[in-house]
Amino acid sequence: MDFLKTISIAASGLKAQSGRMRVVAENIANADSTADRPGADPYRRKVPTFERRFDRELEASVVSLGRVRPDQSPFRTRLEPGHPAADAEGRVKMPNVNSLVESVDMREAQRSYEANLNLITATRRMISRTLEILRA
Amino acid sequence: MAINAFGAGAYAATQNLVSLAAKKASTGAQGAGGAGDFGGLLKGAVEGVAQAGRKAEAQAMSAVAGKADIVDVVTAVAESEAAIETLVAVRDRVIAAYEEIMRMPV
Repeated sequence: MDFLKTISIAASGLKAQSGRMRVVAENIANADSTADRPGADPYRRKVPTFERRFDRELEASVVSLGRVRPDQSPFRTRLEPGHPAADAEGRVKMPNVNSLVESVDMREAQRSYEANLNLITATRRMISRTLEILRA
Repeated sequence: MAINAFGAGAYAATQNLVSLAAKKASTGAQGAGGAGDFGGLLKGAVEGVAQAGRKAEAQAMSAVAGKADIVDVVTAVAESEAAIETLVAVRDRVIAAYEEIMRMPV
């Protein structure tokens, strides 16, 4: 039945967006995770990717969270000579996480999740409205 | 005749339900009622609904154990709810039609 397929497809969207939220949470939580010795790299921001997958049981394209890739942008540096990870000039490499970017990402995941939820709600309403024809 | 048309509609609805449940659980075409007698059809439909219910229950149990995704639980429960509501609506209509026939003065 198409309605139940719709619900399953939207559910795949929900799962993908919740995985994205997990990645955003990792990034935000590790925004200050530096290395513990000079020369080592701090936390590198992770970027979630989404991929289209053809589900044979549903006979429809669903979305799933693909590989989580590292962000290749350079690390920020901060002058803090007393830090255990400071180099000879007193600079500490900080993670390439920008909390503004992360909050925008989080908001986007939230909106996308809500869009999929609305789809499920609307589908369920269509099913029950159709069944009401029999009840009347 | 109205009853005839309704019977065909109910047949189609329950048939869909059965094929859906059979596809979902992939336990073979058990009780699909291919011969077209109403008892077999109803049996197949009820079995399909029961299967959907069991699936939802299993999902809920593994969610309690902390193993299942909440999204899987919600979709399984919603699917079984839709199947049960469809079956109940069809059953109510069939019974109503039967009672109407029984009230007919002969």
